[in-house]
Amino acid sequence: MDDHFIEMRSLIKVYPPDTLALDQVDLTIKEGEIHSLIGENGAGKSTLMKVLYGMISASSGEISFRGRRVRYASPREAVAAGIGMVHQEFMLVPSYTIYENVILGAEPVGRLGALRNADARRRVQSLVDRYGLSLNIDDRVCDTSVGAQQKVEILKLLYRDVDVLIMDEPTAVLTPQETGELFRRLRDLNAAGKTIIFISHKLDEVLELSDTITVMRRGRRVATWENRGLGKADLARAMVGRDVVFSVDKPPAYCGDVVFEARDLSYVDAGGRRRLDGVSFEVRRGEIVGIAGVEGNGQLELVQLITGLGPIQSGQVKICGRDVTRVPVIERRKLMCYVPQDRKASGSAQNMSLADNAVMTHHRLNPRLESRWKALLSPARCRRFAQNLVETFGVLTPNVDTPISSLSGGNQQKVVVGREFLFSADFVLLDQPTRGVDVGSVEFIQREIIRKRDSAGDVTADVGAGEGAVAAGAGCLLISADLDELFSLADRILVMHRGQVVADLVPRDTTREEVGEYMLGVRESQSERRPRAQAASASALGPAGEGACVK
Amino acid sequence: MHLVVEMLRSSVLAATPVLLAGLGGTYTYYANVFNIAMEGMMLIGAFTAVAGSYLAGSWVVGMLAGMAGGLVAALVFAVFAVYLKTDEFVTGTAINMLGLGGTTYALRQMFRVKGAFMSPRIQAIPRIRIPLIGTLPGIGPVLSGHPFLVYVTLALAILIEWHIFRTRYGLRLRASGEDPRAVDSVGVSSDRIRAQAILISGALCGLAGVYLSLGYVTLFAENMSNGRGWIALAVIILTRGRPLGLLTMSLVFGFFDGLGLSLQSTKIPPQFTQMVPYIATIAALYLYSREKRQAPSAPTGPTGSSEQAGQ
Amino acid sequence: MSKNALTALAGIGVALLAGLVILWAQGYPAVPSYAALFSYSLFSKFAIVSTLNKATPLILTGLSAAVGFGSNCVNLGQPGQFLIGAMAVAAFGIVCDLPAPVMIPLAIMVALAAGALWAGIAAGLRRRFNMDEFITTLMLNFIADYFTLYLISGPMWDRATYSPMTKATNPGSWLPMWDGLSAAFVVSCVAFVVTWVIWDRSKLGYEWRVMGQNSVFSRVGGCNNEANFTRAMLLSGALAGLAGGMMVMGGMQHRFVKGMGANYAWDGVMIAIVAANGMVPTGLYALFFAAIQTGAMGMELETAVPSEFALVLQAIIVLFVVASRESTRLLINRLAANLRARAAAGAEQDISKGGGRDASGR
Repeated sequence: MDDHFIEMRSLIKVYPPDTLALDQVDLTIKEGEIHSLIGENGAGKSTLMKVLYGMISASSGEISFRGRRVRYASPREAVAAGIGMVHQEFMLVPSYTIYENVILGAEPVGRLGALRNADARRRVQSLVDRYGLSLNIDDRVCDTSVGAQQKVEILKLLYRDVDVLIMDEPTAVLTPQETGELFRRLRDLNAAGKTIIFISHKLDEVLELSDTITVMRRGRRVATWENRGLGKADLARAMVGRDVVFSVDKPPAYCGDVVFEARDLSYVDAGGRRRLDGVSFEVRRGEIVGIAGVEGNGQLELVQLITGLGPIQSGQVKICGRDVTRVPVIERRKLMCYVPQDRKASGSAQNMSLADNAVMTHHRLNPRLESRWKALLSPARCRRFAQNLVETFGVLTPNVDTPISSLSGGNQQKVVVGREFLFSADFVLLDQPTRGVDVGSVEFIQREIIRKRDSAGDVTADVGAGEGAVAAGAGCLLISADLDELFSLADRILVMHRGQVVADLVPRDTTREEVGEYMLGVRESQSERRPRAQAASASALGPAGEGACVK
Repeated sequence: MHLVVEMLRSSVLAATPVLLAGLGGTYTYYANVFNIAMEGMMLIGAFTAVAGSYLAGSWVVGMLAGMAGGLVAALVFAVFAVYLKTDEFVTGTAINMLGLGGTTYALRQMFRVKGAFMSPRIQAIPRIRIPLIGTLPGIGPVLSGHPFLVYVTLALAILIEWHIFRTRYGLRLRASGEDPRAVDSVGVSSDRIRAQAILISGALCGLAGVYLSLGYVTLFAENMSNGRGWIALAVIILTRGRPLGLLTMSLVFGFFDGLGLSLQSTKIPPQFTQMVPYIATIAALYLYSREKRQAPSAPTGPTGSSEQAGQ
Repeated sequence: MSKNALTALAGIGVALLAGLVILWAQGYPAVPSYAALFSYSLFSKFAIVSTLNKATPLILTGLSAAVGFGSNCVNLGQPGQFLIGAMAVAAFGIVCDLPAPVMIPLAIMVALAAGALWAGIAAGLRRRFNMDEFITTLMLNFIADYFTLYLISGPMWDRATYSPMTKATNPGSWLPMWDGLSAAFVVSCVAFVVTWVIWDRSKLGYEWRVMGQNSVFSRVGGCNNEANFTRAMLLSGALAGLAGGMMVMGGMQHRFVKGMGANYAWDGVMIAIVAANGMVPTGLYALFFAAIQTGAMGMELETAVPSEFALVLQAIIVLFVVASRESTRLLINRLAANLRARAAAGAEQDISKGGGRDASGR
């Protein structure tokens, strides 16, 4: 076994215009090991591996592989040399079959470039059998689960005979059970002689799987340790640079009246599939209700029905006691704050200025942005409003006229969250509010969410309408794919599976594994469980109990 | 009887340029390039074909010049849209304007005429009599005696169907259109595939131009493509780019185009008969939208796509 | 803003240079041709007046396209809306005979309404049947073209003339001229100001602009995209219709003539594109394109370069200005990254405290 199988020396990478992603990184990988790279979002783990994989070129530094100095100009060269990478976002063509995705880029061709499928199909099938991947290679990728798609990505690399497999945050999209399955497959591959580089920010997984662990922080390699006798605290300290408490500091919830109520919501999409199936739940003032679930189990539709972006076919939605089932979006926005899932796709207009992004919806609801004529907006007042948002939420920006696209992801998200939290509404809908955001901003946003829970009108005191000064907090509905976030923020967790709410759990009394089982449908929603869940939720209503918790 | 034969014959003739341009546009459709430059590429091809045929006195040169003209326009499109990352709509519009303005300018600059240029020195594309079928009553006159490009086009439709769905290039082309990152990640440059698709479409649109100016008629007139590039684009959208679907759909449009011509002998004012193909396009789009709304949605978009406004 | 202006100027410079090379390659005296181009469009009172008259329809069609594209309505129907607007004014001017103070405002209304109506067809088809307005507007252009052609060569043909055209409109609808400058230019300036206020200052315009940048965002934010789409289409069509109306009410002929307004509508599309759908840049580019077109006539007189060269030059300008907008940004970013990497490689120690943020200037 080669102890200097892959060597990287003083790698530097700057993303245009001036983000220093890698800062003089050295790293050695041994042949046949499982080597984990751990660090927070933006620590440079993925960038480092993309450089090795030839996907992006380093600004300077060198790499050697099997003792020879290499510099791959494209992933194709890296794969030809035996290095393959599975990205965090899958690189699959949805409408193609698994087989077609596997051969894409390495197609077996005969005369005139015509495809010759017979032999290649046999080879792909034999790889599936040998490594126990349990895939049907004629299924279209878009019809398969996330876990299966990940296996397709691995299969692609096996088909190309790679010796080194780089896995970039492979568990981010998996349930605990799927993660277990993935680890078994990775160990099999490792036993078959493949070197595996595993990128993650989850301490438990890294400790469970790897032979060697490298910690990265802010573009630098902080430490490399053999995985013997290491603890979570050691890794965490190295990752963050200080001691870490493993939970968000959160006062107990004091619940008040119901601010949101969904009753028997059902939704059938244009293809006739039942996306939502009799969903009912309520959110009370002063609590954060989390929704867990594998993506595509009705969360998207639930959000669309609540916000009014999709038509409600059957059922009812009430916000602050008002039936909004048949009410247009703008009317609902008077009653709720909504942080959408994807700030680029639906939370902002990237080419417009920060100020233009900040006044959205406020432009209709806040008369203080108008100029003398009601139909016109006052540019000066809009800028002042944006300036206030920037100050209140600590957005780092030269001024409010810069295009929002030139801000970092975290600062963009602060603008979006700030815009929504400046409404004095009592119901807050948060759809993945911290996805793809740096750690500092995650912390800030999570603190703001808790603050909002505890006092809805606080941040609006100096702007917006005066009625914002209501003492009691807001009711929050938090949809998140990140179980850690749900466990640290939510006062109750509802689990969605196939369009139904299958469990209503209290974080204190449950485990990630139990939530995972519900997410996968391993545990059925059973009527005899209901009373327990409700009892549990009642116990979460705070020290004073349900009746007395209105503040 | 004679009228029916005449109408079918003219629909084959009128379908050919739309089909040729459409076949070119199929490539860009699958590469997910918004190719509104087809109109311009066609017009440029028509002009260079006439220029080539006139100057060399040979239709072969004219044909090659026409394809080259379309290819050069496509090259400009590819350089700007793919490599300089200029917006496709913008680039396409500029190419169309360049085609319109450039040919008008060149017409005056080279041939000192405004409006249209014709000359006996322009050699047209030869017409072909098909040996056996040509003598059959009914079918013979419909299928035989057309400029040979007509037959080339029919063969191309089948060939391109095979090329796009049965070959390595086709697999990569469709993948680049659907998810360019997936193609890049396996080491194939999706940019290059897109550029190639644009160039192929340029050559075929150029050929469509050749057919217009050396096959359909033997002259060049300002803006003689007259919206056929846009109709081709509509046809591509209607048939979702399937080459054999294009073949059928183009024949339908050819029929309406021909219908317009045949109606000119009646009392209906010619301006109304000339509107027919454009109205037919709108009608086809209506039928298409209705069908799309009733059919089950594609597996990709979960919800809410139907009521999304403004694209 | 000034950075944008600089890149635009650079793009125009490169494009003019490319035009120079084309002229030179074809054996024309390139520099004198350019001199003629600008002296006949800018450097005399007559030249300026001609340019402003030429700019009248270009401003309006440019605004029309900018409002459309900027709101994410792919309205390519300016040619049709232009013709319908012109035809409606011609018909109105022939049928009605009123004193000018009444008739001129009415005729303007007619032009606006006719253009809006023609665009409204496409908007309606989009909203009711979800038909792509991009194709329907294009097809409606041809229909408008043949329809007006039918009218002027059939029922509305002025039999006193040989080529197809309508009768002259009644003088009440004629716009006054001052020293050769038509009042149509004033009308287009008023239209410009009104459109600018709507676009840049009103709530409605804000919603349109957001919809143009990201229609999902505007919908999530509570804007009524469907209604806004229709409204933007109507305004876009009205402006193009007004451009057509001005051709009949202003100018010299005061009638609908075959081939009228040949390229004005498409020029408007190009103007909106180079102006990136901004209102003020649209006005400026309209003046610039008008200068090129006016000057091209002079160029033909002086150096025998066919005046159609203006069309080529415009298309080249569009390509280069738009390309320079995108690629200079990419280029500048890449250069900055290289500098930063060199700095990082050089300064080995003192980076740890700064991270990536110190040098970024934020």
